[in-house]
Amino acid sequence: MPLISLRNVTKSFPPARRGGSPVVAIDNVSLDIEPGEIYGVIGYSGAGKSTLVRLINALETTTSGEIVVDGQQVTGVPDRQLRKLRLDIGMIFQQFNLFNAKTVWNNVAYPLRIAGRSREDIEARVSELLEFVGLSDKASNYPEQLSGGQKQRVGIARALATSPKILLADEATSALDPETTHEVLGLLRRVNRELGITIVVITHEMDVVQSLATRVAVMDGGRIVEQGDVFDVFSNPQQAPSQRFVSTVVRGVPSPDEVAVLQERHSGRIVTFSFRDGDSSQASVFLDLAGAGIEFELIYGGINDIRGRAFGHLTLALVGPAPAIDSVLDAMRTRINVKELA
Amino acid sequence: MDELIPLTPQLWEATYETLYIVGLSLFFGGLGGLLLGLGLYTTRPGSLLGNRAVFGTLNVLVNIFRPIPFIIFLAAAQPLARAVTGTGIGNSAIIFTLSLAAAFGISRIVEQNLLTVQPGVIEAARSLGAGRLRIILTIIIPEALGPLILGYTFIFVALVDMSAVAGYVGGGGLGNFAIQYGYRQFNPVVTWAAVLVIILLVQAVQFLGNSLARKALRR
Repeated sequence: MPLISLRNVTKSFPPARRGGSPVVAIDNVSLDIEPGEIYGVIGYSGAGKSTLVRLINALETTTSGEIVVDGQQVTGVPDRQLRKLRLDIGMIFQQFNLFNAKTVWNNVAYPLRIAGRSREDIEARVSELLEFVGLSDKASNYPEQLSGGQKQRVGIARALATSPKILLADEATSALDPETTHEVLGLLRRVNRELGITIVVITHEMDVVQSLATRVAVMDGGRIVEQGDVFDVFSNPQQAPSQRFVSTVVRGVPSPDEVAVLQERHSGRIVTFSFRDGDSSQASVFLDLAGAGIEFELIYGGINDIRGRAFGHLTLALVGPAPAIDSVLDAMRTRINVKELA
Repeated sequence: MDELIPLTPQLWEATYETLYIVGLSLFFGGLGGLLLGLGLYTTRPGSLLGNRAVFGTLNVLVNIFRPIPFIIFLAAAQPLARAVTGTGIGNSAIIFTLSLAAAFGISRIVEQNLLTVQPGVIEAARSLGAGRLRIILTIIIPEALGPLILGYTFIFVALVDMSAVAGYVGGGGLGNFAIQYGYRQFNPVVTWAAVLVIILLVQAVQFLGNSLARKALRR
């Protein structure tokens, strides 16, 4: 049974001006998130992903449709019950949203006080959490004395305080530099692996999805336009928005403009070979070309690795007798995707 | 200078009265203003208890009473002061009226300072399961404490200013002292003495307010 389940969920906001039409932020979205997975939701700003994640912990109310989290209805439930539900769903934010008037210790202790834990419980749990995120020595510091990465680690500790099953990460690394992003993503991976917490990652950064998520949904205009295994979406995106996102991290097939530039610098026929996990290896391609006496040069592309599964596109310039090239390419077409560009 | 020396006991008496009037007005007006300001802040559409009707009513109420010059308000509210405190004149009446007028002014200062609290911080508290009252008491007020202290310090100075007209309804204080013994008796030195005491008073309170705010803001 999925841990988080959305069925035909729609969220519209009242019109900004009187007489205007309501703004539909989420348009008939259905989604299942399984326990223990890291689920990525990617989209440009305004695609509705931040609203989507706030529907899960009911910070926003749904206009229609049904949301069930851990077997519990989220939609149409009184506020008191929602507050209890939120203790089981942690959330971290792009701007960290730490309580500036409280020390690191008191930031992390805050949800435990809400949950009504005893003083000893709180003491033990906060120490444990600060140890987990590596900030034991910062307990009595205030947020403004911390770096961005440290702030987000406090945010993670605070979100995990009440041992939730789910962690919602809303652009959690978008305000961080690449190195700190790497560090925070590592911590999130540990949260998932060591504590078994299901994570929903909202981002506009494709490399965050690539390095963290197991499954991904691509959002555009309030809808989910494509969802599936990260490997499938990355190696073979179907929809235009997905293709645009994938192209930001995967060096794929060169565009016609790029082909023209490549042609100026390289002689011969320009052919792209697309590899995907399980297909024929690159070695066999190179071996076949060499065996047929064809000269080749690698001019564009790359190979990507997503959790041990490889895919990629390599564009080669081939020089040799036309019939020989044709017959080798035809033979390869049965095993891999071959596309002649020029 | 010779005229001032025999008036020294009256000067201290007046200083004490000013502190008494301003202190109590700051307490009652401050409390009323805090509640009214919280009301404005929380009922603002989109806020914790967003309610357009209540917000609109409070907003208009504050806008009606706040701009009335205090000396006119003092006269106009006299029947109300009599009804509540039992007297329309003297220090009790002025403390009542001053508290009322101050509450409207303070409510705006409170509202403005609470609005500086980042919405994301409130959202974080909600995401952790905090209820509305808890968020107001443990997040919003502490987050805005530094500016609030400065706002109340500002109000203290304004109250010293407003309390100076207490003499018009038979109240005491430094304003009354300066008019009665200084101005009316063509004795500028006495007036200046009252001015000096007020300056010292305001300096001391501003200093205290600044240092408390610095502590709350940790800078």
